[in-house]
Amino acid sequence: MFVLNRLELLFYLNVMKLNALIVTLLIFQLGFTQNCDSVFLGEIKDFHDNTPIVGATVFIKNLDKYVSSDINGKFKIENLCKGELILVISHVSCETKMVTYTIYGDLFKSIALEHHIEELTEVTVKTEEQTTTRTAQETLIKSDVLERYSSLSLGDALKEVPGVSSINTGNTIVKPMINGLHSSRILIMNNGVRQQDQEWGIEHAPNIDLNSASQISVIKGSGALAYGGDAVGGVVVVSPGRIIAKDTLFGRTIIGGQTNGRGYNITSSLNKNYSTGWFAQVQGSYKRNGDFKAPDYNLTNTGLDSKGFSARLGKRKFESGFEFYYSYLNNEIGILGASHIGSVFDIERAINAGQPLLIEEFSYDINAPKQEITHHLVKANYYKRFQGFGKVNVQYDYQYNQRLEFDVRIGDRRNIPAIDLTLQTHTLLADASLDSNLDRKYNFGVMGRYQNNFADPDTGVRRLIPDYDKYDFGIYGTTEWRLNDDLIVDAGIRYDFSRIDAKKFYLRSRWEERGYDVDFSDIIIEELPTQLLTNPVFNYHNFSAATGARLDLNDDNQILFNYSLASRPPNPSELFSDGLHHSAARFELGDLRFTKEVANRVSFSHKLNTSKFNLITEVFYNRINNFIYLRPFDFILTGRGPFPIWEYQQTDAELFGFDLTATYTLSEQFQFQNKTSLTKGNDLDTDLPLIDIPPFNTVNQIRYTNSAWNNFSASLKSEWVFEQNEFPDFNFEVEDELTGEMVLLDISTPPPAFHLLHFYSEATFELSNKTKLNVSLAVNNIFDTSYRNYLNRLRYFADELGRNVLLQLQLNY
Amino acid sequence: MKNHKSNLNIMKSTKFFISALFCLALVTSFTSCSDDDDPAPVNEEEIITTLTLTFVNTANPLDFVVLNSFAADGLEDGMSTETITGNFTAGVTYALSLSLLNTSENPAEDVLNGDIIPEADEHFFAYAVNGLDMTMTRDAGDVDGPSGSKLGVNTTWVANSAGTGNLQIRLIHEPTTVDDSDEFGSATGGSEDFNITFTGVNIN
Repeated sequence: MFVLNRLELLFYLNVMKLNALIVTLLIFQLGFTQNCDSVFLGEIKDFHDNTPIVGATVFIKNLDKYVSSDINGKFKIENLCKGELILVISHVSCETKMVTYTIYGDLFKSIALEHHIEELTEVTVKTEEQTTTRTAQETLIKSDVLERYSSLSLGDALKEVPGVSSINTGNTIVKPMINGLHSSRILIMNNGVRQQDQEWGIEHAPNIDLNSASQISVIKGSGALAYGGDAVGGVVVVSPGRIIAKDTLFGRTIIGGQTNGRGYNITSSLNKNYSTGWFAQVQGSYKRNGDFKAPDYNLTNTGLDSKGFSARLGKRKFESGFEFYYSYLNNEIGILGASHIGSVFDIERAINAGQPLLIEEFSYDINAPKQEITHHLVKANYYKRFQGFGKVNVQYDYQYNQRLEFDVRIGDRRNIPAIDLTLQTHTLLADASLDSNLDRKYNFGVMGRYQNNFADPDTGVRRLIPDYDKYDFGIYGTTEWRLNDDLIVDAGIRYDFSRIDAKKFYLRSRWEERGYDVDFSDIIIEELPTQLLTNPVFNYHNFSAATGARLDLNDDNQILFNYSLASRPPNPSELFSDGLHHSAARFELGDLRFTKEVANRVSFSHKLNTSKFNLITEVFYNRINNFIYLRPFDFILTGRGPFPIWEYQQTDAELFGFDLTATYTLSEQFQFQNKTSLTKGNDLDTDLPLIDIPPFNTVNQIRYTNSAWNNFSASLKSEWVFEQNEFPDFNFEVEDELTGEMVLLDISTPPPAFHLLHFYSEATFELSNKTKLNVSLAVNNIFDTSYRNYLNRLRYFADELGRNVLLQLQLNY
Repeated sequence: MKNHKSNLNIMKSTKFFISALFCLALVTSFTSCSDDDDPAPVNEEEIITTLTLTFVNTANPLDFVVLNSFAADGLEDGMSTETITGNFTAGVTYALSLSLLNTSENPAEDVLNGDIIPEADEHFFAYAVNGLDMTMTRDAGDVDGPSGSKLGVNTTWVANSAGTGNLQIRLIHEPTTVDDSDEFGSATGGSEDFNITFTGVNIN
């Protein structure tokens, strides 16, 4: 609040100065007043660089006369009477401006027009794609595609982009994966706010209601430095609806139902805009499903209950504006009951059984194990544009993320979560974009962030993630040069300071086993009988940079080149994890000795764009030093029997691959599309493939459209995912103590390849001038094929979803 | 005029920017005044530190065999140590009594009578022997377990002939199916709260 007051004050001061000037001018003019012989001299200039605008049309409203500006941007109106003068000034590619002056005598006025309006994102509806970056590998997903995913999650929708897959825990916890990288390596921006929702864990899906987005942009690699320098994998930019400065009221309601899981969903949004720039928007959604079904059995306890709400209010003008944004999301997610295990023998039994060991009748009930997550986001921003300079933006945001994980427990503890973490984040941003010269744009900004994590001890389970305070400070500068009509180059650098200050308990046995008693004896602040309280404080200095070029070879061919350097400090989970992760049924061990991860990524893209054939080819090579990953390491003998230990490891790694999108327009009605992507990852220290790399996959789709039949379209999609042949063998053998036999635990071998067919069709009916009804019918997994997915953490226990028929009605009004 | 004006603008913008920076610094320093309270330690409540199987000769209460498993951090996630006191005698019948304690609490918590027996319908004890010629029966007075089974806390064991081998006890939580027709018991589904094998058990 303090910031705003300060800014407002400054703003008013400026306005006051201007008013004072006008008043002085007017008083000065007063003495020369005569009747109907006053002269008005005007000069029309570009808002950005003050160059004169030639040939602007000036309509004198009260005289119903036209004049136009000369070579110096000047115009003259003679024989004016005392009173009001209303001018409407228009020019090609400018926003029409209306100004009113009071004529007491001769008057000279300089009028600024926004000449480059078509190039400034805030006010225009452009035909060209509105990407965030110029030279990075960026793909947009627009609202018409997002609407098809209304009943699903962000991670599902992002898979529209070739090279984007997901790492799942069951079917509702879907984490996006870009070119084989996920979690902390993917930065998610939600309406200008960097999402802070404990994104470190594989079973922590992004807490974003997809229905609040109207456009999503996926940037592979860390090219978008303004958002952060640690996006080793990529950036996902989720944007809400565009604000139109028109007096209008419109809304959208989507109602859907699906057979699998007997799910239903509803979402509704309402927008009110004013020509003055004021706007308000509210949106809410609710999703519910019961137990999903694989082709041969019910997936017991896979229900979902999701509630989302968001509201925006503000004023958006070309010269200044502000916005308040609030969003709320609450998800209660059931985790497959059969995945709750005790020892490695339970895993072995589950793998050998070939189907879940717990199958019950369909139910909407969500029991333990389950997650309950609440996310609040509040944002306020203010921007102002300065003539001949550019735009300055300040933003404050606050996020509250609470994660409860309920385990299968007994007695009174049944309703107490095993994990109860509350993460709060405050961020302040200020940035300036200097776009007065559109051929040489500069952006710079600073960011300050404070984060606090609180792990509630009332769980009665030792904390997996400790209490901590985290401080971040970042500063960056980027520039974009349009060297000629065909060539754009850009470059940027960023520095981030990150400090984490944690208070963590270690069991004495663990402390010694890790060798911390030798390396970290100075951080112990309290000694308890079986535990030590420690105070690890780590500082990280991170440098990141990006540069690239985009060249239009001719009308049909475009090439892009990009290099980026990203550095990411280890996250709290990688540093501090220690102990039994109940919901994952494994020991997870972090390491205090980890250093930051540094990635060098080069990418090259070629875009062919002809009237019939479009081909986008993207290749990349990503070399990551000190790459941190979680691997099954060994087992420890516990009272439950041998228990798998997963340890975070640090190594040098490389990832490379290509993504293809080919679209061929066969005729006016038929279109064929192929999306193919291949990613490879290697651990350079051990010469083994990396774990959890998406297998080769290719998606072919044929689509029929007929605009004469209410925009009818139908498409058939074939999804073919190969078996991942390159995987590290982390299998291990354990001894069955009773019989003395060795038992092999095969947790590494990926499941076989699978092929699925999906159908989608839709039509749009105009109910009235302003009301449209869109009806869509989809059948996923038409042949009810049983398959398992290498990138699903629960693949040991159950098959993926069987056939699903979805019906969706969308009303736009 | 033009230059002057644009300079003025840049000056204004710079002023604006500097004050924004100032605010940023100020607010950041405000919020960073965090409390320095140390977090409270969590002592796992849900743990079993000590498992004791006491086999008492039904004909002679002074003749007994004790199998003990102890894990200071809990059987769930700590290393356990097994100790065997005494030997079985061939031809003798024993009554087994179980004890499950959490000794990290003071006084020690009786997990068997406090948590497991009250929720007997979702727990099941399964036993197994390898290399030992022993038979067992679940007593008529045993606690009722899930779906008509007997939980397995009151059992009677007969050591048939001399030998050395292993004896296993498992506690299964929320099993999908249980079967105690062979008395030792078996289960599918659920998760093992513990799975302890005593090796080198002797029958003289």
